[in-house]
Amino acid sequence: MKKAKYKILTAVCILIFVLGVAGCLFVVLSPARNTVNIVRDGEVLYSFDLTKTEDTTFDIYYKDSKNTIEIKGGKIRFSAAECPDKTCVKSGWLSSSAMPVVCLPNHLVIEFANNNSEVDAVAG
Amino acid sequence: MQGKNNKMSAKRIANLAMLTGIALIIFVVELQIPNPFPIPGIKLGLANIVTVYAVYHYRAYEVFMTVFVRILLAAVFCGNFMALIYSFSGSVFCLVGMLLLRKIVDEKHIWIASVLGAVLHNTGQMIAASAVLQTVQIWLYYPFLIVSGCLAGLFTGLCAQLLISRLKNRLDI
Repeated sequence: MKKAKYKILTAVCILIFVLGVAGCLFVVLSPARNTVNIVRDGEVLYSFDLTKTEDTTFDIYYKDSKNTIEIKGGKIRFSAAECPDKTCVKSGWLSSSAMPVVCLPNHLVIEFANNNSEVDAVAG
Repeated sequence: MQGKNNKMSAKRIANLAMLTGIALIIFVVELQIPNPFPIPGIKLGLANIVTVYAVYHYRAYEVFMTVFVRILLAAVFCGNFMALIYSFSGSVFCLVGMLLLRKIVDEKHIWIASVLGAVLHNTGQMIAASAVLQTVQIWLYYPFLIVSGCLAGLFTGLCAQLLISRLKNRLDI
């Protein structure tokens, strides 16, 4: 009886882990798209079509803190940030449509927009 | 546990303070280890070895006290107060879950409670993050956090298990 309980609990742990790995693979394997949104607190600040945008860098301010965003060769990333952890900079170029690049301290998210947003709007 | 005296004895407070101190030191040392993963929320969380130990040896409110004090002081030491929100919600989820788990999982299987606690911690962090950022897409980080949480939880759990078996007869805490 006791052994069965721990077997079940171990199985639950393994199941969670396997599901996590499967989720990771799904996110990593999602292909990139063309349109990119820069979002703060659910509000789209900027929107770019990466295939048409020329190489550029610009700053976005949040209170006293600054994020520098770089677009180069059809890719986008945070090239610099004034937050303590710099996680967004270390995240590198935005590559997966499933996984946005996030700066938690400055409430900033770069993500691929849904390609067929009109269809989605109609579908509700 | 002295059942008669429900008030906290000086010794108990001293023990809790020492645990908090140990956890803080571990936390500060861990800050010096470079983190190879660029995803926020992913880290080893070695300080949770102490949390796991405390969950199995102290009353619920005492565990909450040590962990909350540690989180607050940790934020002071590393200067990242934004992380406080995430740590707090993560810890609440983790501690509630682990304090329930301690009723069904015995000390010889602490690693199970630790793994599940870590996953709950990540869940709490995600909920806080999606509330702060108001983006649903942030949940796509969740699988990464779960995988790292399982591994980190397993590691800290096994560490705690080793520690407990060695401390058993030496320290009266």
